[in-house]
Amino acid sequence: MMRGSSFGYLIKEGAKNIYANRLMSFASIGTLVACMLLIGSALLFSINVNSFVGYIEEQNEVVALISDDATEQEVEDISNQLTLIDNILDFTYVSKEQAIEEQMALYGESAFLLEDFEGENNPENPLPNSFRLRIKDLSILSSTIMKLEAVEGIESVKAPTEVAEILSSIKRAVYSGGMFIVLILMAVSLVIIANTIKITVFNRRKEINIMKYVGATDGFIRLPFIVEGFLLGIISAVLAFGVLWVGYNYVLQVLAENPSAWINQIYQNTIPFQKVALQMAAWFGGGGIGIGVFGSMFFVNKYLKV
Amino acid sequence: MIEFVNVSKVYKTGTHALNNFNVSIDRGEFVFVVGPSGAGKSTFIKLLMSEEKPSSGEIYVNGQNLVRLKRRKIPYFRRTLGVVFQDFRLIPNMTVYDNVAFALRVTNVPSKEIRSRVPYILSLVGLSNKAKSLPEHLSGGEQQRVALARALVNNPSLIIADEPTGNIDPELSFEIVDLLSEINKCGTTIVMVTHEHDLVSEFNHRVITIDHGTLVSDDWNGGYR
Repeated sequence: MMRGSSFGYLIKEGAKNIYANRLMSFASIGTLVACMLLIGSALLFSINVNSFVGYIEEQNEVVALISDDATEQEVEDISNQLTLIDNILDFTYVSKEQAIEEQMALYGESAFLLEDFEGENNPENPLPNSFRLRIKDLSILSSTIMKLEAVEGIESVKAPTEVAEILSSIKRAVYSGGMFIVLILMAVSLVIIANTIKITVFNRRKEINIMKYVGATDGFIRLPFIVEGFLLGIISAVLAFGVLWVGYNYVLQVLAENPSAWINQIYQNTIPFQKVALQMAAWFGGGGIGIGVFGSMFFVNKYLKV
Repeated sequence: MIEFVNVSKVYKTGTHALNNFNVSIDRGEFVFVVGPSGAGKSTFIKLLMSEEKPSSGEIYVNGQNLVRLKRRKIPYFRRTLGVVFQDFRLIPNMTVYDNVAFALRVTNVPSKEIRSRVPYILSLVGLSNKAKSLPEHLSGGEQQRVALARALVNNPSLIIADEPTGNIDPELSFEIVDLLSEINKCGTTIVMVTHEHDLVSEFNHRVITIDHGTLVSDDWNGGYR
């Protein structure tokens, strides 16, 4: 129905309109970019906090103590059973001899104080044989402890249950808080963007009206607006993506150059932008284009009923 | 060409704009529509362009039954008309040329034809030298001639002019109606709503007077009652 030449004309018209209405285009792009930056920053912040909390979680060890009388075969059996428990990331066997040597290493110059306990099968050694386990998900720690206690040969389990609870609740809070903020930002963005598009279309209601009078079909009138919305959306997405990329890497660099060991720990656990770039680009692009196109269409339709 | 049969229009606000209105206009006529403000002239025009549907009655324009015309068919119907408004309604950020070409682009006319047709129409209304100007740089009379060119470019069989001289100087008004009369001589039907007594008396055309939503006089000899 529509000729190629007039389709091309409409595409060109849409692109031209962006320049012709540059003040409104600027406002639309500005709002879209600002909204995307806010949402993107909130997302990046929360995934990084999560990653860091995850790192702290991994540092927490659960220790399973084993009787002094356990034979090598029994230790082997326990180790086999541990591999069957899902929530265990990895584990190492620490004999009482290794344990005392570790302690001596910690004592440094005062290591001689522990000399009496040193040596193979030293009956004086107060430290037990043990397994040190790293846990995958601290939030289900208590059930994992129960499984450990059920393993034959394990005398008792020492676990940082309180720390685990705190960390899990931090993780939950960051996740739900982050989502909440992102949702609010999205809602606010939608309102602002909708208004910007509304004003853009309102400013051109006369033009739309004239098109109707000279016999333009609704599709013909809509297409330049759709092209315009599409272009504005994609320009905003590219800008926001670029700014976020540069800004994020800048923050990472500041963290990396900070001499504090603590900050360095944080840096070690940040998520590199490349890891989320594709997803972020898809969301920005999809969101920008979607809002641009559907927003324009929605408000243009209002003026088509002449 | 135009046939209104027992047409009534009541707006949602309760205003009775037209009551049992009947009129018949043949191909090639030039008709002035006069009457006081609020008499129903604007409603008549709106019904003529299928901008509104009548509450009752039948309307036929250019062979179309406007009461039965589907919404998505309206654009195609409007392409058989040329419309000129009091406020010109030119697109401000388009040149004179583009404003006229626009009416053709809307109807899928090939660009080659647009390039030959637009200059011809602009020369017809005497604006060849203003093709690249923006509407804001033109006088009221010139803007109305651009609007007229836009109405003409599709070669419509009917031109509807809603107070086309309302916003321009009296001496230039005469020019516009003169131009419309020339177009009429080539066979195009013209329906022009106006307030200006002088113009109506000057040109010897049929005059329809509407008051309180009904046709109160239909004078074939011209002149303003």
